[in-house]
Amino acid sequence: MAVLLETRDLRRHYQMGASLVRALDGVSIDVAPGEFVGLLGTSGSGKSTLLNLIAGLDRPTSGSLRIFDRDLAQMSSDELSEHRRRNVGIIFQSFNLVSTMTAAENVALAMMFAGVPRGERETRASRLLAAMGLAGRQQHRPTELSGGEQQRVAVARALANDPHLLLADEPTGNLDSRTTREIMTLLKTLNERDGKTIIMVTHDPSLAGEYAHRTITMLDGAVVGA
Amino acid sequence: MTVRDSLDLALRNLGQAKLRTALTTLGVAIGIASLAGMVSLGVGLQDQFVSRLTRSGLFDSITVLSSSDIPGGFARLGGAGRQGFGRGRGRGGPALPRVELSDATIQDLESLPHVRDVFPNVRVPLQMRFNGEQESFAAAGVPRSAKGEGAFRSIAYGTFFPNDADMTCMLSLDLAKRMNDADPASLVGQTVTLLHASPAAVSAAIAAGTPPAPVETPCPIVGIVERETGPGGIGAQVTPVMLPLGRARTMALRANNYLSLTVKVAGAQYTEDVEDAIKKKGLSAFSINDALQGAKRAFILLDIVLSLIGSIALAVSSLGIVNTMVMSILERTREIGIMKAIGGSDRDIRRIFLIEASAIGFFGGVAGVALGWLVGRVINFGANVYIQQQGGTTGNLFSLPLWLIGGAVGFSIAVSLVAGSYPAARAAKLNPIDALRHD
Repeated sequence: MAVLLETRDLRRHYQMGASLVRALDGVSIDVAPGEFVGLLGTSGSGKSTLLNLIAGLDRPTSGSLRIFDRDLAQMSSDELSEHRRRNVGIIFQSFNLVSTMTAAENVALAMMFAGVPRGERETRASRLLAAMGLAGRQQHRPTELSGGEQQRVAVARALANDPHLLLADEPTGNLDSRTTREIMTLLKTLNERDGKTIIMVTHDPSLAGEYAHRTITMLDGAVVGA
Repeated sequence: MTVRDSLDLALRNLGQAKLRTALTTLGVAIGIASLAGMVSLGVGLQDQFVSRLTRSGLFDSITVLSSSDIPGGFARLGGAGRQGFGRGRGRGGPALPRVELSDATIQDLESLPHVRDVFPNVRVPLQMRFNGEQESFAAAGVPRSAKGEGAFRSIAYGTFFPNDADMTCMLSLDLAKRMNDADPASLVGQTVTLLHASPAAVSAAIAAGTPPAPVETPCPIVGIVERETGPGGIGAQVTPVMLPLGRARTMALRANNYLSLTVKVAGAQYTEDVEDAIKKKGLSAFSINDALQGAKRAFILLDIVLSLIGSIALAVSSLGIVNTMVMSILERTREIGIMKAIGGSDRDIRRIFLIEASAIGFFGGVAGVALGWLVGRVINFGANVYIQQQGGTTGNLFSLPLWLIGGAVGFSIAVSLVAGSYPAARAAKLNPIDALRHD
C-alpha cells in the first residue's frame, strides 16, 4: 500500500510549569492516499497535538513524521510554511476566518500567500464558494454568515491551493446536528469524488464511525486502537 | 506573496484602525515637522548669509598676488620698492622665483575656465582740489566690468563712468557729504581739479633729487557711490575718489607690474577651483571663500544643534509607532495565527508589518513636511513684519529645498522601519498554535 503519511515513534513533550507534559509519546501511524481517517480520543489525549504536527504548525520533540516522503521534523520554518501552503488544508472547529474580510477575500488570502495572481485568485475563490453552495454569500463577512456557512467558507479556503491532504480539527464541534450532517457530507464528497485524503479529529465515535473509513483512537498521547 | 499583495494587506490593516493610524501618523508628522522645520531654519539662515555675501560682489572675486611677495609678509606690499634696499631679500629661506604680475599674467589668467574678468588693482596717488580746499587720496581704478555689480549695483547719485579712457571720477558718498553736506547730489556734473605727477615726471624727479611737479587736470564728477556695508577690503573698489581703470592705468607708477590683480569668476561655486588653478601657476591667491570656511563650519554646527532639538519630537513619535504596532499585533494575534496556518511564512508576516510601519512613516513624513512648511511660513511672516518695523531687510528665514523634503520623508520612513522592526519581528515569530488560541 502506498503511504501518504507515516509517523514513527513520534513524540511531543513540553514543559508546563514544573511538570513535563507528554502530549504525544511514541505514535506510529500510516495513512494511505485517499483515506478518510477519524482521529478519536478524549480531550488531552493528544489527537489535536498530532494533527498540529501533521499540519506543520508545531514541531515534534523526537521521532519522524514523513509526508510525501519528506520528514517534517527536519524542515526549516520556511519549508514548514511551504508545506502548509501546498500540501495541507486545515479546517478548524472555530472556523478561524479573518473577521474583517469577506468570504471571497478569506478564500483568496490563502492563494495570496501562494503567489497566485489577483485575477486568478478571485475567479478561483468565487468558483470554490459557489461549489460550497455559497454563490450568493461571497461578499458577506463572517459575522453575517451562519456557523455552517462559515465552516463551508473555511472548507473552500482549505481547498484554495488544491492540497492532497485535508486536516479537520473538530470541524462540526460548533455546529448543530443538521449543519453537522451538511459539513460531513461535504467532506465525504471531497474524499470520494475528488480523492482528497482526510484526517479528522473528533471526540464523537459515532460521527467518525459513520463517515470515516477507519478510526485511530488515542489516549494519553499514545494510540490505543486502530 | 508579492510586494503588491503585502502592500494591499498592510494598507487594509491600517484602514481597519483609522483613528489609531491617524493619531500615530500625526505623531510622526509632528516629529518630522519639528525636525524639518529646524533644519529648514538652519538652511534658511545660511542662505540669507550666503546670498548677502554674494550680493556684496566679493564672493566671486579672487585676489592674486605675486608669489614672492608672500614670504616677506603683506607688509612689503605697501612698501616703497620690491627691489628694496637689500633688507627684504633672503630674509625667509630660499627666494621663490619671482613672478611679475604683468599684462601677460592677466591674459594668462583670463584664459582659465570660468574666469569672467581679470584686472589689476591700481591705486593712483593724487590730490584733489575743490572750492579752494585740497586733500590727498589714493584713487582706485574701477574696471568696466564692475558696472552694475557689487558696490556699483546701485549708484546713489549720477551714473557709472561713461567710458574707460576719459578723465572722469566718481566719489564715495562719505566724501561727497564732506564736500557738500546739504546736497551731495548737486556735486554730480561739477568739476574738481586733480593734481597728479605722471610716471615720467616722477622718474625724472627721483633722478634729479627734486620733488615731482604735479600736473593739474580738470575732472568732472559723474557719480556718487554709497559704500557697501558688510565684509569688505579684499578687491573692494570703493575709495573716496575713483577713476576709470583704463585712465588710472596710464597714471599709475607701476605700469605693467602690478601689486595685485583681481580675478572675477563666473559664479561663486567656481571660486575654489579657479583659486587652485591660479596657485598652480606659482601665484598666490586668496578669496573671501577662505574666510567663509569658518562660517560654514559654524553653520554645520548650528544645523546639528537644530536637528538634534528637532529630533526629540521624532524620537517620541517613533515610540508611538512601536506602541501602536505592538497594540495592533496584540489585537490581531489570532489573524496572524490564521495567516500562518494557511501558509503565510514568517517573512510574509514580517513584511506586512514593516510595510505598515513604513506607510505610517511615509504619510507622517509627507504631512510633517507640509506642516513644517506651514509653521515656517507663519513664523517667517511674523518675523518679517517685526524686521520691517525695525527697518531691516526682510527675507526667507526658512528654506525648504528639494533635498530636505526628500530627506525628511526618507528619514521618516527609515525611523518608522526601525521602530516597526521589533513589533514586526515579534509578529513573525508568533507560534501559530498559541496565536490561534488567542481571543
